[in-house]
Amino acid sequence: MRAWWIAPFVGVVVFAGLWEAVVRIFDVRPFVLLAPSEIGTELMATPGFFVENALVTGRHMVIGLLISLIVSIGIGAVMASARFIEEATQPVLVLILVTPWVAYVTSVVTWLNFGEAPIVFMVAFTSLPIFTFGVVGGMKSADQSARELFASIDARRIDVLFRLRLPAALPSIFTTARFAVGLGLAAAYFSEGAALSNEGLGAAGKRAAAFNNGPTLWATIVTTAALGLIGLGIITAIERAALRWHVSQR
Amino acid sequence: MEVAAASGEPVCIAPTPKPERTPQCYGVTDGATTGQIHIDANSTVTLAQVRGAVSISKVSKTFASRGRRGPGPVDALASVDLEIEPGEAVTLLGPSGCGKTTLLRLIAGLESTTSGSITIDGHLPAQTRSRKQIAFVPQAPALLPWRTVAANARVLLDVNPNAGNKNSANVDELLRSVGLGDFIEAYPHELSGGMQQRVGLVRAFALDAPLILMDEPFAALDELTRADMRHLLVQLRDQRNSTLVFVTHSISEAVFLSDRVAVMSGRPGRITQLIDVPLGRPRQPDLEDDPEFFAITRQLRHELSKGRAPS
Repeated sequence: MRAWWIAPFVGVVVFAGLWEAVVRIFDVRPFVLLAPSEIGTELMATPGFFVENALVTGRHMVIGLLISLIVSIGIGAVMASARFIEEATQPVLVLILVTPWVAYVTSVVTWLNFGEAPIVFMVAFTSLPIFTFGVVGGMKSADQSARELFASIDARRIDVLFRLRLPAALPSIFTTARFAVGLGLAAAYFSEGAALSNEGLGAAGKRAAAFNNGPTLWATIVTTAALGLIGLGIITAIERAALRWHVSQR
Repeated sequence: MEVAAASGEPVCIAPTPKPERTPQCYGVTDGATTGQIHIDANSTVTLAQVRGAVSISKVSKTFASRGRRGPGPVDALASVDLEIEPGEAVTLLGPSGCGKTTLLRLIAGLESTTSGSITIDGHLPAQTRSRKQIAFVPQAPALLPWRTVAANARVLLDVNPNAGNKNSANVDELLRSVGLGDFIEAYPHELSGGMQQRVGLVRAFALDAPLILMDEPFAALDELTRADMRHLLVQLRDQRNSTLVFVTHSISEAVFLSDRVAVMSGRPGRITQLIDVPLGRPRQPDLEDDPEFFAITRQLRHELSKGRAPS
């Protein structure tokens, strides 16, 4: 019996090996692609720098995603209450979803001024449609018979929402959260650069790119990826605790 | 229990089950002269009106057509009249599509009538619902997967806790009495279908509502489990003297559970016959071997086949 970590470990090692080989064999310029060994060297040289900036970017992502989640639950609850509202809101959400957010980042920065606000706004705004679709879809999956049961004792809307629809939506919300981490991290990184922030991996990356500093740039990229992995890991851990009753956990 | 008393005079009742013990006498505080005795924690005795009477008058229900692609308007029920006495058990029996579930849902107020009226103790179903005096048992157990068995049995009590009967039953005791004592902290996915439906029964009876409406609750269970469930149901029912309206297409279920059977036929649905089931209470399981039971079953089968279109 193999240990659970062996196969993924082998996959990553092989990938890193190929990457290293390609860079060396084709003598790729550092700015285009840096070998893993050199990225490692860069990270080990000033680990504190990358960790501090990772914490800043992580904070931007988490706050933005939490805001998005809470707002999407509110919007989802309103949408679930009336068919008309749901059908009216849906095209707007789709529009937000498909509009290339990288295009309007600078406009948001101009609106909200430099600093943390535009970064958190971008994270929240870009992840809002997917969280809302996850919440609404999840709420609709609530058992029809259970809804009738609640109707038979004239349960208030708020009771139906918190006792039936939101718990029913949890599995869908966790699935959506995984996608939201990837999207939120990208929005945080790019917005930090656009907002000319002093802190954050995106800001460090943009400065490095401006000075043609390949090693630092790639180090920020790898650190951001690591941040994403940690985020997914946290989501999985919370999911395991919160969804003990769900079929996916058995 | 029902007791008649003149207003202001003490009421004496013999405590069951040993009538030779000296009767207890209580002062009557309510102006009503007949009704159910309620004794609260301070030993205050009140006589409350017997509840759970359902009056259905010239009720019809048409489901509107759903646009060009859906089915046209469906006449689910055409002019149904039925009076249900408090404490009575009435079964709506008929083939699929005869409107029996629709009628039950109209009584619960989950749908509104197209014409005619339904009252429960003189009130509209909506008012009765808001006072949590209807216990509805849907066809599927509809347990909430994220709640334990005990939490599921309590869920109707937790919602709107200020409405409804404040003396609702101890849920854990009820669960033990139906044989689920070992599963109180289990999750629904760990239970079989029959066990889940037993939780559904406990959930309904925990409300201590005067009117219980059941929509083919045992339809998805095997024959043996169905028999166990209806024996359990009459036990729970007899302890409370609630009014029961039960929908089924099983004749033996109908005869075992009810005082009267309303035979229905469909499209549009109406009650073709009201058959009395004078088999007395309490109903013991071995009643199903009784010749009288067979006679009534035969009569019902005859009535049902009369209403069916020739195939």
